[in-house]
This record gives sequence, C-alpha cells and structure tokens, in this order.
Amino acid sequence: MTTLQSTIIRRRSPFMRKAFPYFLLAPAMIYLLGITLYPGIYALYRSTMTGKFKLEFVGLENYKELIVDNAFWESLYNTLVLGSITLVIEFTIAMALAALVYRDPWVKAWRIIFLLPMLFMPSAVSFLWKLIFNDGRIISDLLTRLGSTFGNIDFMGSTGFARSVLVVTDVWQWTPFLFIIFVAGLQGMDKEVEEAARLDGASWNSIFFNISLPMIRPVIAIGLVLRGIDILTMFTPVHVITQGSPGGATETLSYFIYRTAFKSFEQGYASAASVLLLIATIVVSQTLVRRFFKSGTE
Amino acid sequence: MMKNKTTSGTWVAKFILALWAAVCLLPIIFFASIALRPRNEIIAPTPIYFPTLTTETWAKIWDEWPIGTYFVNSVMAVFGSVVICLLLGVPAAYALARYKFKGREDIGFYILSTKMMAPAAVAIPMFVLFGRLHILDTVWALMLIYAAANLSIVVWIIRSYMVDIPHEIEDAARTDGASDLRIMWSIIIPMCLPGIITASVIAAIFAMNEYLFTLIIASKNAYPLSVALANFSGGSDGIIYNAIALVSFLAFFPALLLVISIQNHLSRGLTMGAVKG
Repeated sequence: MTTLQSTIIRRRSPFMRKAFPYFLLAPAMIYLLGITLYPGIYALYRSTMTGKFKLEFVGLENYKELIVDNAFWESLYNTLVLGSITLVIEFTIAMALAALVYRDPWVKAWRIIFLLPMLFMPSAVSFLWKLIFNDGRIISDLLTRLGSTFGNIDFMGSTGFARSVLVVTDVWQWTPFLFIIFVAGLQGMDKEVEEAARLDGASWNSIFFNISLPMIRPVIAIGLVLRGIDILTMFTPVHVITQGSPGGATETLSYFIYRTAFKSFEQGYASAASVLLLIATIVVSQTLVRRFFKSGTE
Repeated sequence: MMKNKTTSGTWVAKFILALWAAVCLLPIIFFASIALRPRNEIIAPTPIYFPTLTTETWAKIWDEWPIGTYFVNSVMAVFGSVVICLLLGVPAAYALARYKFKGREDIGFYILSTKMMAPAAVAIPMFVLFGRLHILDTVWALMLIYAAANLSIVVWIIRSYMVDIPHEIEDAARTDGASDLRIMWSIIIPMCLPGIITASVIAAIFAMNEYLFTLIIASKNAYPLSVALANFSGGSDGIIYNAIALVSFLAFFPALLLVISIQNHLSRGLTMGAVKG
C-alpha cells in the first residue's frame, strides 16, 4: 500500500514537486493581497473622487489640495518629530537597561518586571497617562510638592507639554519591546570574546562599546526598524489623549487620515493622503526590511 | 568570574534598575488603586494617594456596561483571528522554510512587508469593503482584520522555527513513502510546536491591542475591550476611570499568563524570528 502510494506520488512528482509550495502559499497570498492590493487600488480610485454619497470624478484635485494643506504637512512633521524623539529615548533607556542586566543572575525577574507595561492595551495605557497628567493632576501635584510654583499645569495647553505626554506614554509602554530584544541579542553573543578582552585588561566600558555593541548591530537594527514603523503609525495615544490638540500640534499622519475620513467624512481627500502614505510605506519597507531581515532568511 | 565588580555588581547599577522598576510598577499600582477606589476619590481637588479600597463599585460598573459581552467579543475576535492565521500561515511557512522554488525570497519579503502597512492607510478601503459585505460592527469583521494584520508575523515566526529542523528527518520519512502533506502534518508541525505557540501568543496579544481598525469597525454590538473602554464616560461624570482601569486589568492578566508561558521565546517572537534566544 505504502509503496503503491509512493510510486503514484513519484510518478506525478515533476509537476507536483514544482507546484506544491505555491499551493501551500496560495491561501495566505490571496488573503494578504486582499489587504494590500485591494486597498491600494481602491484608495487610488477613491482619491480621484469627491463627495460623500454621490461621487464625482475630480481627477488630481484632491492631491493638489493636499499638497498645499498645512494640516497635512504639519501632521507629517509631527509624526517625524514625535517619532524620532520617542525612538531615541526608548533606544537609550532600553540599551542602558539591557547592558546592566544581561549578565545579571536575576535577569529573568528584571525582564518580567520591565515588560509589564507592554502587556496593557495601548488604549488603557493612554487613559492611564491622560489621568496622571491631566485629569487627575498627579504630575502637577507631585511637582508642587517638590517645590514647583506652576500650580496646575494644563498639559494639553501647550505644544511642548502635549507632545511630551505622548512621548512619555509611548516610552513607558514600548521601551520593554526594545529592552527584550537587546537583552536577547547581548545574551546570544559569544561570552568568550568578552572574557578574552577582560583578561587582556580592557575596561567594562570599552568592552561594551567596542566589542559587544558592534557585535549586536544587526539585532539593534531589527529592533529599531520594527519599533520605528510602529511609532510612525502612532494613533492610539493621539486619539485618546490629545485628539491633535493644541491646534493640531500633536496630530500624526495616521490621525490626520482618520480625522478627515471618519470625522469630516472627506473620504476622497483622506484617500489621497492614504495613497501617499502607502507609497512611502512600500518604499521604506522594501529597502529597510530586505536589508535588515536578510540574515533571518539566509 | 561573571560577578565582576564593574558590571552589575555595583549598586549604582542596582539603583538604576530599581529606579526603572519603580517607573514601571508605580503607575500600574496607581492604576490598580483606581480600579479599587470609589468614583469620588478618582478626580479630587488634590489627588488622593491612599484611597479607600473597595470592590463595591464593581457591581455598579458591571450593571452599567455589558463588560461580559465586551470580553466575549474580544475573546472571539482574538481567538478566531489566531485560528485564521494558523490555517493560512502554517502551510505558507512550511513552503517558505522547506522548499526551494522560484520567487521564494520575493514572496517571503512581500509577506513580511505587509507588516509595515500603516493601518490608517488601508482603513478607508477596509471600511468600504466591510460595509458592502454588511459585516461592519460584527465580530467577524474584527476577526478578519486582526488575522490580516498578524498573518505576516505568524508566517515569519513559524518559518524561523521550521528552518531549524534538520533535513535528514524529512528525507528519511520521504524515503519511507510519506507524502509531503503527511510530512508537514505529522513531523514538521509537532517539531515546531514551540514556534506555533509563540506565534499564536504574539498574534493574540497584538489582536487584543488593535485600536484603529477596531475603532472604525465596531460601533456598538461588536465592541471588544480595547475600544469599549474609550466609551466609558457618563455625561456629567466625565471619563469613568475606575471602569477603564477594571477593564484594563481584565485584559492584562490573560496577556501576562500567555507571555509568561512563552517567556523564553519572547524576543524571537517579537522580532518575527530574526533574533533567537
């Protein structure tokens, strides 16, 4: 019986052998094309239309409007400013903690404690910090107790404060993401290289910066790419905490699209912004992802 | 040897670690105290740091909002999306890990690149599509969109575990006459079970956290926890933070258990298999 089966398979093997992996991939590919190709084409089509119920063809009108729209450029600028500040802070804290902890016998315990913020839903974390900063006035109160004379600070009232609240929220929740990846990278390193350098009398600092850090560069790159992409699509804390206030100073690109499409119901206009964002995403993901995940595919 | 004085042995290092532990833990403890305090002690003229602790408010919260329904919605949408991810993702991962064929790399990177898709950029087309299918505000729509968002992660994590399985085992089975599907089902899948579990946990947590798609899809009946808590406000009462805190912990504890169960695979899961250990 088994020999018979195997002969059958072997007989049709030239074609089957070639086609089989494609059959296995087909369902996933069709599904993913459904969420990438279809939205891309639809957004492109919709971006040439205007109107809420009765659509009217307007060609490139939406794009022309978009590129002179200050709110759009401001949201792009905010996304980049918020994103880079957040990423730099998260990287610094995560790397410092990882460096302190990776040879510690208690590393597992530290890791569990440090990753707790990551296990709350982002919407929950956003409300938590909204309460701490603004509604509950905890920060103002603590500052007053420490001798500040500002009284109750309105954290949504100034650009700097409102942006800081978003940065703090993201840093608190997502530093653990980088921390866990960096610890794994440092632990995965060959211990003997460090040991040899230590026996040669190198200081801890020079070992870390000259040996360990360069060795885990690929790991750092992957962590930063993944976190960077997430930060550039920041939406939840903006929606929960600031809604873009004051005066659009904290509006990110994602929030801009959401607001135009689902609050002002200008879907054609928002689709134009979606198309631009999609193009940017494709360019970025094709270059960055291929480069940094190469080692993963070998 | 490892207990070098200049590394974590010094108490400066210990102090920094303890400081960050406090930064992590104090807001969580504060949040827990919010869930446990009466409504009038949440927002007071001067913040109350040592409130009356009570669980009496929970009954009221439970009466006011169908939290049980929200929880069931979350569980169904998350669980369903993970099932879809595995059904589609395991065969795809197997193909990418174990076969040499034309376009393998391009297909692999295409799958990975869908992870980079900004939800906001595809929100409008998805909203229109689900509207036409008449599944807006249903758990089914959430299931489909969560699966779409996490499929790439699932494929790449499982693929990374499958690549590690030695070819000899497969070759031996093939000489014995086992078909390719048979090999996948009874050899490869059991051997990469840790990878499948890791992928499922990560996908479940990301699905639980999803906000933007959920916000535009769910409008009443399909609220899962992540978006339901944004609606806990009662007119003159403003935002009802003790209900929000309670629901947050309702989602936090299952996530904690899941993550502890895969803690040694966590970094590999979060980097989609790229960082091992």
